Order: sequence, then structure tokens, then C-alpha cells
Amino acid sequence: MLRRYLLKRLVVAIPSLVIASLIIFTLPRLLPGDAVQLMLEEKAYGKDLDDLRHKLGLDRPIYIQYFTWVGQIVRGNLGESLWTRRTVVEELGSRLPVTLLLAAMAGGFSILIGIPIGVLSAVRADTLRDYVARSLAILGLSVPGFWLATLVIILPAMWWGWTPHLGFTEFRRNPTAHVLQFILPGFILGIASGAAIMRLTRAMLLEVLRQDYVRTAWSKGLRERVVVLKHSLKNAVIPVITILGIQFAQIFSATVIIESIFQLPGMGRFLFDAILQRDYPVIQGINLFVVSIIVLINLLVDLTYAVLDPRIRYS
Amino acid sequence: MARYVEAVAPVESSREPWALPRAVRAVAHFCRHKPLGALGGFLVLVMLVMALGAPWIAHHDYDYSIAGSRMKPPSLQFWFGTDNLSRDLWSRVVYGARVSVTVGFLTIALATMVAVAVGVSSAYIGGAYDMAVQRVVDAWMSFPYLIIILSLMAVLGPGLLNLILSLSVLVAANNARVIRGAALSVMQNPYIESARAIGSGHLRIVLRHVVPNVMATVIILATIGLGGVILAESALSFLGLGVPPPRPSWGSMLAGSGRSYMQRAPWMAIFPGLAISLAVFGFNMLGDALRDVLDPRLRGTGTGPGR
Amino acid sequence: MVRLSRRDLLKAGGGALAAVAVPHLASTLAHAQTPKRGGTLTLRGTDPPHLDHMLTVSFKTHVLMSFTHSRLLKHKAGPAVASGTFPLEGDLAESWTQPNETTYVFKLRKGVRWHNKPPVNGRELTAEDVRYSVERFLTIQGNANAYMLKTVERVEAVDRYTVKFTLKEPFAWFPDMVATPMAVAIIARECVEKFGDLKKPEAFIGTGPWMLDSLRPGLGQTLVRHPGYFVPGLPYIDRVEQIVDEDSASRIAGFLAGKYDVGFDGGLIFRTEWVQIRDALKQKRPNLRTADVVTNIMSHLSMRTDRPPFNDLRVRQAMSLAVDRKDLMDATSEGTGMFNPPVPAGLKEWSLPVEQLGEGARYYKRDVPEAKRLLASAGYPNGFPGSVCFTTYGSSILVDQAQLMLKYLKDVGIETKLDQKEYGAYAASCLVGKFDSMTFGPQTTFIEPDNYLNQYMPGEAKNQSHVNDPIVTDLIVRERRTFDTAKRRELINEIQRYLAKQQYYVQIHSGLSVAVWESALKNYGPNLGYDFGGRVTAAWLDR
Repeated sequence: MLRRYLLKRLVVAIPSLVIASLIIFTLPRLLPGDAVQLMLEEKAYGKDLDDLRHKLGLDRPIYIQYFTWVGQIVRGNLGESLWTRRTVVEELGSRLPVTLLLAAMAGGFSILIGIPIGVLSAVRADTLRDYVARSLAILGLSVPGFWLATLVIILPAMWWGWTPHLGFTEFRRNPTAHVLQFILPGFILGIASGAAIMRLTRAMLLEVLRQDYVRTAWSKGLRERVVVLKHSLKNAVIPVITILGIQFAQIFSATVIIESIFQLPGMGRFLFDAILQRDYPVIQGINLFVVSIIVLINLLVDLTYAVLDPRIRYS
Repeated sequence: MARYVEAVAPVESSREPWALPRAVRAVAHFCRHKPLGALGGFLVLVMLVMALGAPWIAHHDYDYSIAGSRMKPPSLQFWFGTDNLSRDLWSRVVYGARVSVTVGFLTIALATMVAVAVGVSSAYIGGAYDMAVQRVVDAWMSFPYLIIILSLMAVLGPGLLNLILSLSVLVAANNARVIRGAALSVMQNPYIESARAIGSGHLRIVLRHVVPNVMATVIILATIGLGGVILAESALSFLGLGVPPPRPSWGSMLAGSGRSYMQRAPWMAIFPGLAISLAVFGFNMLGDALRDVLDPRLRGTGTGPGR
Repeated sequence: MVRLSRRDLLKAGGGALAAVAVPHLASTLAHAQTPKRGGTLTLRGTDPPHLDHMLTVSFKTHVLMSFTHSRLLKHKAGPAVASGTFPLEGDLAESWTQPNETTYVFKLRKGVRWHNKPPVNGRELTAEDVRYSVERFLTIQGNANAYMLKTVERVEAVDRYTVKFTLKEPFAWFPDMVATPMAVAIIARECVEKFGDLKKPEAFIGTGPWMLDSLRPGLGQTLVRHPGYFVPGLPYIDRVEQIVDEDSASRIAGFLAGKYDVGFDGGLIFRTEWVQIRDALKQKRPNLRTADVVTNIMSHLSMRTDRPPFNDLRVRQAMSLAVDRKDLMDATSEGTGMFNPPVPAGLKEWSLPVEQLGEGARYYKRDVPEAKRLLASAGYPNGFPGSVCFTTYGSSILVDQAQLMLKYLKDVGIETKLDQKEYGAYAASCLVGKFDSMTFGPQTTFIEPDNYLNQYMPGEAKNQSHVNDPIVTDLIVRERRTFDTAKRRELINEIQRYLAKQQYYVQIHSGLSVAVWESALKNYGPNLGYDFGGRVTAAWLDR
């Protein structure tokens, strides 16, 4: 049963990936201006532009470029940057860990913030404690991330001449400092998605608390904490997993800004620069990679859900 | 993915016209039982009043430079201080509400229309059409939203209208999926079956029975989405893709000169920042309360494009 | 991050350094302290798009190159050189002569060694290397700066230490173009042959005072002293750390916390930022030294002068009269700066002060009634509509300036709409003159006046205003053929006086930036331009 479900989900994921690959390929080509024009800037004369386009293979028909690209990917080659000639795989190798660690930190913080507040505000629904806790969580979401990050950097520098980060520390130089430098940006990112998790946890828990077996537990006279934690929370948290895929996509987007402010050499900022520079192979390569990861996460999420919750229809 | 949405229940469609006293009582009830939601509603109302009444509420035109008043701190004359181009910040924040409301409401209106059309038709028609639509939505949703927005904004070029278009494309995809889920569960209700049995046309069934029953979902999505759009505009401003000048958007005030002069004239950042936060807070609180009231089981629909 | 070159150019255009000419060093230091060897200089760096300086116009690559590569000539540096002036001296060339108007002969120093890295392995530099570099510069596809040496017809290695250039026509700026840090840095043929191009760090091998030790994309670069540098004893500083720090808030914070030894925009700090952190710095970093520097960052309004209404001289004059340059200076440069004639005020030796522009001087002072009168006499009593193409370059100052420009134009009846574009779209259109009405933005910064005059030459891609004025063309051609400096200066003054009346581009002011450096950094003098490496070659750290 599970295997058939998995197979079905896999088959369904393929057309999504094909459509995504078309979007990934076409979107950057629609951007006005091209890499060549940006390379030559204000000294861009017609003939030089054409020559350079030819040299970089950008003058071939677009569908040929697409199939060449797909052919490369099938062989495991994500292409190389038009600017630096570094391969996309090489760049991913150094930048992916940064973004993943940042996203993991953010995810961790969002769970640490979201679940306790969600539980509190469900158990104490419509009391002062619920209002305060929920307001705080939503307030965290309401402050633009770049603004929070700016304050965190500037204020201590103005007041105490101290900055939270003194350049990026590589793992091999100082593993502890390497991990520690992600705490602040991870926390700022986590606040935003924490609110979403809080919301979901609260809604799920409220619903579960209304159900019969919880009432039974209540009537047996068990201590409230036991009721909530043992019976309800477990069931309530399962659906929280389902939004992890979407949250990852959102966190990845947010890394663009946070990575620029905290000077973290991750993928978000790299992709943003590639878009500005019209570095097609890099934009395509990274997008494809990220999209595949998200499709994979969603697949895993669905599977986990199917395993954890036997009530699910394998539809 | 996102299997939870299929559990969404329909809302009973009430035929009764809402009489005024009943509406007043409903509001009073809402305020008593959902004080946070009421606070959110109040903040949203303030924002709407600012937006609509900007020319009367603001002291100056948003673009008017007051000679000799560069970077003055808040005072009785300049409630929020003045900025580096000697403009009254209070007036700019008030007019900024107009920009935020325009961007927010137009985006959400556009996105909602598309989402309802796509989501409901997808659920109603089903089959291969549903399958195809869902694959496109899936593909679209697996992109980090910023990539889509950046690309769309770069393709279309910065501008108010283009910003609205790009943001709504994104919001629409997310909402279409949720609305499809809601519509699917509405379809399982016996009254749809009965409507079919008495020979109602498809259009009639969709418009009279399906759409009204997903409206609760739509309203909640829209309310929370509005907050998301305001945040997204400020994030895009930081990346230089927000509302271009001279229109005063809160995002560009905060991310642009607000951030540049923050040590010397912190009020240039504090007030637009406060406006953003209060507006987003208001929409979220109102949306959450509406969700509790209208449809307690609609859950985890995310926060829309935020940061 | 590999942000676009021009954008940061705006921010870093100021950077400058000067190593006192080596021969002078002894005398300068005779009654100074004895230089100390060693130490690490930490700078706010950038992330170059790649490292082949002949394939990019990015200042990020060129600045990095100034530490590691040599040129035939360079500019003198050090506390004795006034910023904004660029006296020439030999770099790889020991001496140079000009036997006739179109021939230059450079005698190279003997015993110049490449960095000791494969495939060059520290061999001696020869005239053939110079010839090869110049030839590659002129012929490689995608070299946007090749125009700087387009007058070169032939370059030959006469013998191991002699290089001869033959030009197609006289070009008085030739030595300056050879010296500019934006053009030919000398590279080794083996690197190109081995790596295909010089984009990757392993191909980044020169004969300069420092060697690239490591390049971490998005993080920074570490440079270490080149022990075989051809000036014995130099450089004094052992190590240069460049830290990539692209966010404005982050680098201000970093500077306050003492992370960088010199101002974070190429040694300088913009006035708007300086005013904000000045007081905090007094407490936190009392040992900083400062000097005011007029930058060569100049923004202008360009317009389609080949079409109505801008083909009418009176319209252009009216637009210049509409612009309130004083107000711009107050609002966006804290009231400091200088008005720019066509050659920016930052280039002290060549720029004509506005009061000396003669008849054209009056167009630099705001006069709304006169502007309206001129517009009326041109047939636009109620002004006309237009649009201003624009991109932010990530600078809020530029955004503020653009908003003010729109207001000024509106005051005389020219109703304009801001047509904001994303940088890539802008570079492909407005930057190269493809727009219908007007464009507002900064110009690439140069340290040679002639490069600023290119935008008045018909057929040049950067001639955004579509200027085709035989009088200007003729004057520029003549100025380029005039070797006598005094006469050439007179011609350039004449060009500036003529252009002030024509207002093909409405130029705004340049702000006064603040050069800032740690007092422990001795024998350092700030200047404009990309040659930061040159400015610290003979500097040393006393700590």
C-alpha cells in the first residue's frame, strides 16, 4: 500500500519537475538585457555584443539551448557560470552548507518559538496569557526581517563598538564560531516562520482538544499536563510537519536578504546576484536544485504523514 | 502535498439578509470574544481611514519640502519629524498608507479572483483538467517566492502596477490550492447532489452553492494575505524592487533613506517601520480571529509571501 | 557578492592610495621615522566577478589587481601627492622616451620577477610579456576598455628590456592610458595558455608587491607579501586582508568596531555616512586620521539632444537653470561638495572652476524665471512632458537626487515621470543611450579628463545624449593631438567653457568625501582611482 502510494507520488512529481524546468529555463531568458550587455556596460557596441554572444553560445536558438541544458543535467552537469567559469556544482558545494545551516537554525528556532506558544495559546485559549503570547509571536512576524537585522547590527556597534559578526568564519578555521555566527540570523528568520507554526499548532491542538478521547482523558481525572502533552500534542503536531516544505521555500527566499546583511556566503545571495548579472546557467542550476529539494521535502513530508497518520487516504 | 486542506469544512450558507442591529450585535460579540481580533480590526480601520482621507489627514503633500526643516526630530509641528529632503514624515506615512492599501487590496483582489476561478473550477471539473492545473500550481509553488518575484519584477520592470501583478501571481497560486481543497469538500455535501438532481446547470451550482461556501476560506486567506503583501513590498524595497519614487511607500521609506540615516534621524525609520508592523499585525490578528469565528478548521495556510 | 560593477563604482569610485615614488622615498623618510616591516592591513573588500581584468570593467577586479600586478607606468602616491592629482612615474618601466609624435619607447627594469607560482615560477619579466599583454588587451573579445588604447597600431619587443609602441595618430594621453589602473596590467602568456583565460584565482599571477594567497568567493581575499618584488625592501606590510562586506549597515558597524584600517569605500567614507558616525568614532576610534577629498563621482541628466525638444539649446539651458545644485548639495551631501563642469571638480588639475566658465557659468545657478523665459522663447511656454530613465544602483542618495531633479524640472513646467528600471534592464537600454526622453545617473569614474569627454564623441556607446556637435568633436580631436600640457589645458578649458553653454548633459555636484585611516598607517596619502595597491606599497604599520 505504502509502496504504491510512494510510486504514485513519484510519478506525479515528474510532470511538476518538467514544468518547473521549463519555467526555470524560460524565466531568466525573459529578463531584459543579457549577460553580455552587463559585461560590456556602457562600452557595449553592437558588433562586440554579437561576437561575445557567439563566443558564449547565447546566439543559438533557444530550444536548442534548452535541450542542451537538459542533456547536461541528465549527465549530472549543472553548467558553469558565464562570468566566473566556476561550475555550478562547485559553487553549490561551498554555498549550500551555509544556507542549509542557516535554514536549519531558522527551522529550529521557529519550532522552539511556534510550538510552545501554540500549545499555550490553545490550552489557555482566549485568556490573557493566550493574547500576550500570540501577540508576541505575530509581532515577531510583523517586523520586516531586514529591519530587525539592521538594528541588531547597528545598535550594538553604536553603543558599545561591538558587532555581532566579524566576517564569516569558515568551519575549518573555527567550528564553534562557525556555528555560533548563524544563531542571530537564524533567530531572525525563525521568528517569521515561528508565527506560522504557532498558528498551525494552536489550530490543530484546539481541534484535538475537542475530540472524544481527550474528553475521556479529562474525565479519568489525569493531570492536565499529561492530557495535553501525552494525548493531544502528539496528534496535533503531525500536521505541523506538512508545512515544513512550504516553510523551507519561504525560509530560502528570506535568506537572500539575511545573507546580504549578515555577510553569509550562501546560496540566496548568490542566486540574487546571478539574477542581477543574468548569469543564466547559475540561475537555472540553482533554481533547479532548490526546486528539486523542495519537491523532495514535500514528498518526504507526505510519506511521513502517511506513516504517522494511518487515517490518511492514499489518494 | 498540503493534504490538510482537504479537511476544510463548508460554511453553512445563510440566506438571511444581515439586518443592521444584527450586524451591530455581531460586531459587539466579536469584540467581546475576540479582543485581539478587534484590535486587529481597529488597526486595519485606522489604516483604511488614513488611506482614504490622506489629503485631509496629512499636513502637507507627501512630496512637499519645507524650507529649513531638514531632519527635524518629532515635535508638535512635525509629529513624526522631517526627513533628509525636509519633508513632513507624518504626511508621508499617511500617504504611505494609501500606497500600501492600493498595493495590498489590488494584489489580493486580483489574486483572489484568479485563485477562486482556478481553485473552484479545478475542484468542480476534476479529471485531467484538475490534474494539469495542480501540476502547474505544484511546480509554481516549489519555487521560493522571491525567485519568482525577482524574475517577474525584472521582466516587467519596477512600477506600482507591475509590483501588484507579480505579487498577485504568487499569492494566487498559493490560494488556488487551498480554495480547491475547500471546494472539494463542499462538493461532497448532499445538497450539491440534490442540486444536480433537480437539474441545476453547472454554472448555477458553482455560483449558488460552491462559491458561497468557500467564501469564509477566501476572506480569511485574503485578510492574512494583505499583511503578507505589505511585508513583501518592504522586502522588495530593500532589494530595490519596491514601489519607485516619488510615491511614498512604507517599505521604501524604511529600506531607503530610513536605513541610510538611521543613526542621525532614527525617526525616519521608526515611524514607517511602526506603520508596517502595526498594519501587518492588524491584518494577521483580524485574520486569525475571523478564522476562529468563521472556520475553526482552516489551518496552517501559511502567511503568504512575507519575508 | 558580485554586485554589478558600476553600482559599487559609485560607492568605491573614490578609493585611492599613493605609494611615494621609490626614488623619493629615501629623502621623504630621512627625517621621518624608520619604516617597520610586517603587520596586516585589513580593508573592506569586494567580491570581484572574476579575475581577468581584460574581460571586465568591474573596479572590484581592477582594485584587487593593483596589489598584485604591475603596469608600465603608474601614478605617484604618498602624503606628498595632493589628492585629485596624478603625476606619472615608472612602474615596470625605468624610463620612457617619445622619439616622435607617434612612437613611444619604454626601457624596462632588469630583474623583475613574477610571483613564484606555477606555471610562471618566478621567472624574469621581459619585454615580450609586455608586448603580449598589450596585444591581448587590444584583441581579446569582450574587453570593454580596449578603446583606451585604440590608437595603438603596433607594439614590439625590441629587445629583452625594450618595448616600442607605434601609434596610428598622435595621442597625447597615451602615457596616462598606459598608467591607468583600469587598462593594461602586465600578465604572463603561460597563464593564459594554461588556464584559457585569467578568470580563476590560480591564474592571478603578476609582478606586483603582493601575491594572492587565497580567494574565498563571497568572503574575501588574502594577499601576502611578494618577497621577490622588484623594489628592494618593499612592500613593508606583510599581509593584506580584504573582507567582503557589501551591506551598508554592516560595514558601518564593522568600521565603528574597528574592523577596517581605512575608510570602507576605497579609503573614503561618504559624507552622509561620515556625519552620522563622526561622534561615535571620536570615542571609539580616537586615533583615526582624516582628510576631505572631492570625489570624481558625478551624476548627470542626459537627454536626446538629437530630437525635439532637447535639440533646442534654450531648452537645455532652461533645464540647467531649473536645477538647484546648492539645494541638492545641502540635501544629499550635507552641504559639502563642488559644482561640476564637464570635467569633474575632483580632477583638480583639469577641471575649470564654475566661476571661470565665462558665459556658461550662469547656467549653474538656479533661475526659475529665466528658465521659463527660455522655454517660452523655444516654443514651450507651458513646458512639456517627459520621462527620466533611472536605476537605483542600490544608493538611497541617488534615489533622493532623482526625486529632487524631478521636482526642479516640474518647477519650470517640465512634468516628468520617473521610469525606474532594474539595473540589468537599464544597462541594456538607457545606459547606452537607448531611451526616448531623459536619463539620470552616475558616470563611470576616471582619473583622466579625456575619458570624461568621450561621451561627447559621436558614435561612442556612452554618448547617452546623442551629441553630435562638430565644434566639440573638433576641439576634442585637437586636444588629443596637443602634446604641450599648457596648450592642451587651454583647449580642455575651452571645451568646458563651450559645453557649459551647450548643456548637453546637466551635471550635478560631487560631494566631499572623507578619507579616513588609522594613524598607525604611515606614509599613506589618500587619492582617487583604483590604484589602492599602489598607495600602500610604501606605507607601513606602526603598531
